[in-house]
Amino acid sequence: MLSCGGFSYEKIIVENLKYKYPDTDQLALNDVSFEVEEGEVIGIVGQNSAGKSSLCLALTGLIPHFFNGAYGGKVLIDGIEVKTSTITDLSQKAGLVFDNPFTQMTASKYTVYDEIAFGLENIGVSREEMIERVDWSLKMMGIENIKDKNPFDLSGGQMQRVAIASVIAMRPEILVLDEPTSQLDPQASEEVFRVIQQLSQEGITIVIAEHKMEKLASFTDRILLLYEGKQIDFDTPQKVFSRDDLHDYGVVPPIFTTYCKAMGMKNKKTNTYPVTLAEVSSLLGGENNEWNKS
Amino acid sequence: MKTKSMWSFRLSTAALVLIPIAIGINYIGKTIAAGLKLPLWLDSLGTILSSMLAGPIVGGLSGIINNIIYGITLDPVSTVYAITSGVIGIVVGALAYKGWVNNFAKALLLGLVVGAIAATVSTPLNMIFWEGQTGNVWGDALYAYILSQNGPIWLASFLDSIVVDLPDKLISVLLCFFIFKGLPKNVKRLYQNNQRFEEL
Amino acid sequence: MTLYVKQDSLIHEIDPITKVIYAFVAALLPYILPSHTVALIVLVISIMLLVVGKVFRKIIPLIGLSLFLIVSLVIIQGIFRPDNVTPLFHFGPIIFYKEGLSYGLLLMLRVINLLCAFGVLILTTKPDDLIQSFIQKGMSPRIGYVIGSVLQLIPQMSATIATIKDAQRSRGLETEGSLLVRIKAFLPLIGPVIMNSLISTRERSIALEVRGFNAKQKKTFLHEVHTYKYAKVIQAVLILIFIFAILWRIFL
Repeated sequence: MLSCGGFSYEKIIVENLKYKYPDTDQLALNDVSFEVEEGEVIGIVGQNSAGKSSLCLALTGLIPHFFNGAYGGKVLIDGIEVKTSTITDLSQKAGLVFDNPFTQMTASKYTVYDEIAFGLENIGVSREEMIERVDWSLKMMGIENIKDKNPFDLSGGQMQRVAIASVIAMRPEILVLDEPTSQLDPQASEEVFRVIQQLSQEGITIVIAEHKMEKLASFTDRILLLYEGKQIDFDTPQKVFSRDDLHDYGVVPPIFTTYCKAMGMKNKKTNTYPVTLAEVSSLLGGENNEWNKS
Repeated sequence: MKTKSMWSFRLSTAALVLIPIAIGINYIGKTIAAGLKLPLWLDSLGTILSSMLAGPIVGGLSGIINNIIYGITLDPVSTVYAITSGVIGIVVGALAYKGWVNNFAKALLLGLVVGAIAATVSTPLNMIFWEGQTGNVWGDALYAYILSQNGPIWLASFLDSIVVDLPDKLISVLLCFFIFKGLPKNVKRLYQNNQRFEEL
Repeated sequence: MTLYVKQDSLIHEIDPITKVIYAFVAALLPYILPSHTVALIVLVISIMLLVVGKVFRKIIPLIGLSLFLIVSLVIIQGIFRPDNVTPLFHFGPIIFYKEGLSYGLLLMLRVINLLCAFGVLILTTKPDDLIQSFIQKGMSPRIGYVIGSVLQLIPQMSATIATIKDAQRSRGLETEGSLLVRIKAFLPLIGPVIMNSLISTRERSIALEVRGFNAKQKKTFLHEVHTYKYAKVIQAVLILIFIFAILWRIFL
């Protein structure tokens, strides 16, 4: 389909998005607007019920098509308007992974290999291409060794990587992850973060809602801060985590930022606090020290 | 909310996902009842619950598929009763939709109706396949008694069934009624496929 | 959850649909033609197929499940069948009659035959192959999902039950004792499983939707169909036998 003049470099455009779940009085999303460029990694932060999950569902079309309720504003995914599209069509543009590894398994396939092929069978991908895509997904997630196992016999971390593999096999250009490590142990979380970063290096645009701020600070380009459904900020991790009012929104900044704040260590050029260990050590050990005590 | 017919075959994904869960609940109920040595089957809790939640089509499908799957995996004899299970699902689904699960008294009545219908549907099946017997100790004892009194086989068979089905279905429906009442609203609305989103 | 036994045999090679047709025709023949001979012939054929399929031993527990029904059929018919006239033997005051015992024996053969006929299908066919064959024959893939999912979820839910049982017991729930005690234990055991599994349907639905579950396109399959050279011939013969049996019953 040719779009005349509608071409945009932005992979995701959200304009004045409002949403209310059925049988509720409060807006779960209240006037959210932002744009994401191709290949960016975006972190969504905020306390519980700030609207993080709702936003993830809205980017993948489950809001409004699965949840119904009341919907306003506009979401464009790679030029396609969510409101008038379908979940199936959107699934090939923006994939969704969420927190519970167990419920993300279809529960109808007996091997990991078949599990990953499930979506491809549904959208009618040819057999040859299906095998090629499943093999690619297995390799990307580093789970070739478990391809013949029953999905329900896996550990949570393995299951979650199977879930991601199943979604990226659909070849979306955007991957939306809603707290993908919240039900995993630290080691499994590490592995999942590692594969997410690898997907980012493949050029996939990533949107991730997460509570682990140190992680987000280390690999996201921008952070979207939500509070009670409203968009509070959308900026670099340094800018967002340096906000003095962060605690008012129920967000605890990365531990490095908290320390540097307490010690008053600030980057004079950008007027922000460091958010990662690398930034802190460049402050402490670097010769051209751009970080100074204020 | 009740704009679309309860008889629509266009099931939502959630309604479809409910069917295997319902069949799983049937199995779990049966296993626990047997484990506790209860004198009841309690093997249709899932079918009944899914009917209350998602209507007669989902309920009927849960019942039929339930027995076919037991038939091809655990116990071929159960295939014979696929019709009975299907009818239980349809009856509960349709009557629940008409408000028969609104209060305890109505649910009690629903349980009795379901038990009677289950026995009525099973009787001809039992007549065809095993000369009217059920394989249940108490039921078959009654069957033998009726025959010894020169009663007709169909009556012996029906009573054989009803001794088994009536208490079982009555208790099952009541248990499901309490569970159904306790479910959160967002779970109950999940299986209706007749909604649209509105503009803000 | 499956009774399928992985083996290398002639019967395993036969395609699922042919075996389904066999199961139904073989199970129903003794009902259409009510004679001991027919029931016995079909039963022997089924048993031979089980032996060739290297799964004969697996049919025994399956028959065991229906043992009470089988025994009860012979005894009750033998004593109480209305057209009983010729006493054969007796235990004290209980008289067994020739007619009833003969009829009970036929019923018994029918039940065992039904179990064996389906045994041929169940024990030698992988459930996924069976489901895929039906989808390719025109069954809705959505129903295919439901069946596949049941077989995957039941062992899962059974495992949950075991966990809950332990947890409840450690919290003092009594699962043994008088009937009332046992009845009271039922709901605390099953309640949590029911709640959790119902709540899980929302997330599972989402997981399916984002993987094209509602796609309008024609579905493709990862695995190629399992074909069998003689499928058409065997199916035709089975169906002919079935029709012949019905005609025989009606006209002769």
